[in-house]
Amino acid sequence: MERIENHPILGETPKRKKVTFSYDGKLLEGYEGEPIAAALKAAGVMAHRYTAKKHEPRGIFCAIGRCTDCVMIVDGKPNIRTCITPLEAGMVVQTQYGVSAKPDA
Amino acid sequence: MTDIQAKLKEIGPFVEGADDNLLVCRCEEVTKGQIRKAVHEGIFTLEEMRRYLRSGMGLCQGQTCGKMVKSIIASELKVSPSEVVPASSRAPMRPIEMCILAEDGGVSHE
Amino acid sequence: MKIERYDMIVIGAGPAGLSAAIEAAKKGLKPIVFDENAKPGGQLFKQIHKFFGSKEHKAKVRGFKIGEELLDEAEKYGVEVILDATVVGLYPEKEVTVKVGGSVRHYKGDAVLVATGASENMVNFEGWTKPGVIGAGAAQTMMNLHHIKPGNRILMLGSGNVGLVVSYQLLQAGCEVVALADAAPRVGGYGVHAAKIARCGVPFYLSHTIVRVEGEDAVTGVVIGQVGADWKIIPGTEKHFDVDTVCLAVGLSPMSQLLKQAEVKMNDTKGGHVPEIDRYGATSVPGIYAAGDVSGIEEASSAMIEGRMSGASITCYLGYMTEEERDARIEELENQLETLRQGMFAPKNRGKLVEKTDEGIDVSMNLLNKGFVADDEIERFPGVTHQKGIHPVIECTQNIPCNPCQDACKMGCIRIGKNITSLPAIDEEKKCIGCGMCVASCSGQSIFLVEEDVEPGFGEVTMPYEFLPVPEVGDKGIALGRDGKEVCKAEVTKVRCAPVFDHTNLLTIKVPNDMVMKARFYKKEA
Repeated sequence: MERIENHPILGETPKRKKVTFSYDGKLLEGYEGEPIAAALKAAGVMAHRYTAKKHEPRGIFCAIGRCTDCVMIVDGKPNIRTCITPLEAGMVVQTQYGVSAKPDA
Repeated sequence: MTDIQAKLKEIGPFVEGADDNLLVCRCEEVTKGQIRKAVHEGIFTLEEMRRYLRSGMGLCQGQTCGKMVKSIIASELKVSPSEVVPASSRAPMRPIEMCILAEDGGVSHE
Repeated sequence: MKIERYDMIVIGAGPAGLSAAIEAAKKGLKPIVFDENAKPGGQLFKQIHKFFGSKEHKAKVRGFKIGEELLDEAEKYGVEVILDATVVGLYPEKEVTVKVGGSVRHYKGDAVLVATGASENMVNFEGWTKPGVIGAGAAQTMMNLHHIKPGNRILMLGSGNVGLVVSYQLLQAGCEVVALADAAPRVGGYGVHAAKIARCGVPFYLSHTIVRVEGEDAVTGVVIGQVGADWKIIPGTEKHFDVDTVCLAVGLSPMSQLLKQAEVKMNDTKGGHVPEIDRYGATSVPGIYAAGDVSGIEEASSAMIEGRMSGASITCYLGYMTEEERDARIEELENQLETLRQGMFAPKNRGKLVEKTDEGIDVSMNLLNKGFVADDEIERFPGVTHQKGIHPVIECTQNIPCNPCQDACKMGCIRIGKNITSLPAIDEEKKCIGCGMCVASCSGQSIFLVEEDVEPGFGEVTMPYEFLPVPEVGDKGIALGRDGKEVCKAEVTKVRCAPVFDHTNLLTIKVPNDMVMKARFYKKEA
C-alpha cells in the first residue's frame, strides 16, 4: 500500500530514518519508530498471523493495540502487537501460526 | 433468579441457523452457532459464556465481541439485550504477562 | 509493597482527562495522568477536520491543533502525564494498579477520574475477519498518524459522523471510496458531512449492509444488499464492488470496565454500559469521577467540557475551591455543554426522524436518503439567496451547533443569532465583498460564493477545496453537482491558499451562468 508523501491538511510527511528489518526471512525497509504494522502495510503484507483453531489469516483491525489481531512473532517473542510496537533496525518479524512461528505446530 | 428449566422449555430446542458458522469472538474463534447452542444448554449470562466457550477471554478481553455475544444470547432467550446479565469486570483489565503479574507486590520468591 | 499517593489520578490522557487535569492543576493540584498509549491526546490527533461549535468550543480549529493546545496547557500547568502506562485495576478505595514497562505499580488517589473514552463497535458478516476489514479508527490511525493509505479502493459501512468524516479523510489521503453503506434507512451523521463526500461522487447505499467480504489472504471484494423490514437481505438486491479494504464505522461504546470494577453504580443503556454520575461528574463511589465518552458517547468538544467540570468538582472535593466557586464554574460549563446538546442531533433526538428545522422548514429528505440536498430542495433554506454580484450561498440545512461563519463575515452578511443551532441566514442588505472568509470558516464546508454574471453567459462559483493537487488557474475540467455527477465543463479562474484559511483552499471556477446554483465540486478532466 502506498505511503502518503504529501497531505492536503497535514502537509509533507516528515523525513524519517530508513531501517531494514526481516520479515519471514526476507529483508524489508521501513521507517524507524513507525509501527511495525505500518512498515508491513507499506510493503504490501496483509496477513500477520494465522489463527490457532481455524488457521485463518488476520491482519490489522483496530490499529491501536486493543484487538490484538495483528500480533506476530518479533525477535522470537510471540503475541507482539505490531500496530503499536515501534520498528527498530534489524528486527526479526515472523508470521505467527497459532502462537508459534511454524505452520504445523 | 431465572428458572433455567422453565426458560429452556420456553425457548424450545436449538435449531441450526444459516449463519451459525459466523465467527463472533475473533480471539478465541467462537462461532455464533456455538453461542446459540450454549444458550440451549443453559448458559444464560455473559459470565457463564466466557467460562463455557472462552468467548471474550482472549487477548482483547471481549472488547470486540462483548456486545455481539450479548445480543445473540438475548435473541436466543427472546429478551432485550439489557436483560442479559453482563460479565463482571476484574483486574487485570488488559492482557498482562504472567511474569509481570507474579512480581506484583514485590519480587517473588522461589 | 509501595503505594504512591496523589491528590488526583486521571485515567486517560484524551480530551476529557487532560482537560480535567488542567482545570485542577490551575487551582494548585498536582494531578497525575496515566495513558496506555505511547502518545497523549486520545483520538484528537487523528481528527484533521475543523470542529463544530462556537468560539468557546474552539470551533473551526482542527482536532489535532486542539490536541496540541491541550498538551501545551497541560505542560504549562505542570500536569504529569505517564505514557505507556496501562491501568489494569481500579478499586473502590481509589487504589489504581498500573502496568508500566515490566512491572505493576500501585497508586492511591484522594480522587480518581476515569476518562478512558470509548471503543469501536463491530458487526460480523461472512469474511469480517479477513485482513483488509478494518475499523474506521484504524483507517484514521494509519492515514493521519502514520502517513499510510489504509487501502486503495474502500467501502465504508456506517453513515454516522465517524463514517462520514473518515470517508472524507480517506478521499483526502488519496484513496477511492467506492460506496458508503448503512443498514439504517437514513444518514445518521451531519448532512454537511454527507454532502462533502456525496459531491465528490461517493454513492450512498442506505438500508444496505454487507452480505460478505471476499478474498483469501486479503480482501478482494465486497457484496452489499438491501435490508428489508426484518433486517434481512432482500434476495436479488446484492451488489458487488471490487475493493481491497472494508471500513467499519458502526458506533462506539464506553470503555467503562474500570468503573464497574470499582463497584460504581452502572446503568445499562442503549449507548452502552455507563456510570451513573451527578452534575459534578461524581459517581456513586465517593471520590471516583467519570468524564467524556466513558460516561456516554458524544463529541470531543463535549468531552473537554465534561473534563473541566470533573476537574473543578475534584478541586472542590479536595478542598482547593469553595462550593460557591465550584458551582459558579459548573454553571458556566453546563451552559457551554448545553449549547452543544441542542439541535437536530441533540441526545434527545437520537434515532428520531426530525422532519422540520427549528425554523419550520422541511428537512431535505434527499439529504437523509442519498447524502445530498437536491437542486429543487436547496432554494428553501435561509442561507440560499439570489443576488446581483458576488454573495455567499450557505447550504447548511440542519440545526447543528455551529456558528463560526457568523463571525467570519466582517460585512455582517451572515446571521445566526444567539442560538447557535439556528440555520445561518443571509442579510441581503449587507454587501458581500467576496473575501471568502466564510467559506474557509465553515467546518461543514457548506458555504459557496456565487456570482451569476461575471461575463456574458458565465458565472463563477467559489468552493472550499481540501485536496491535492491544488488545481491551477487556467486548468480546465468538469464541475460536479451536489450528487457528484457531472453538470458542465468548468475552468479554474482563481485559487486562494492563505494561511488564515487553514488549509481550506478557495477554488473559483467559471461555469455557464445557469449552472452556478448546481456546480459544487471540481474535478480535473481525466
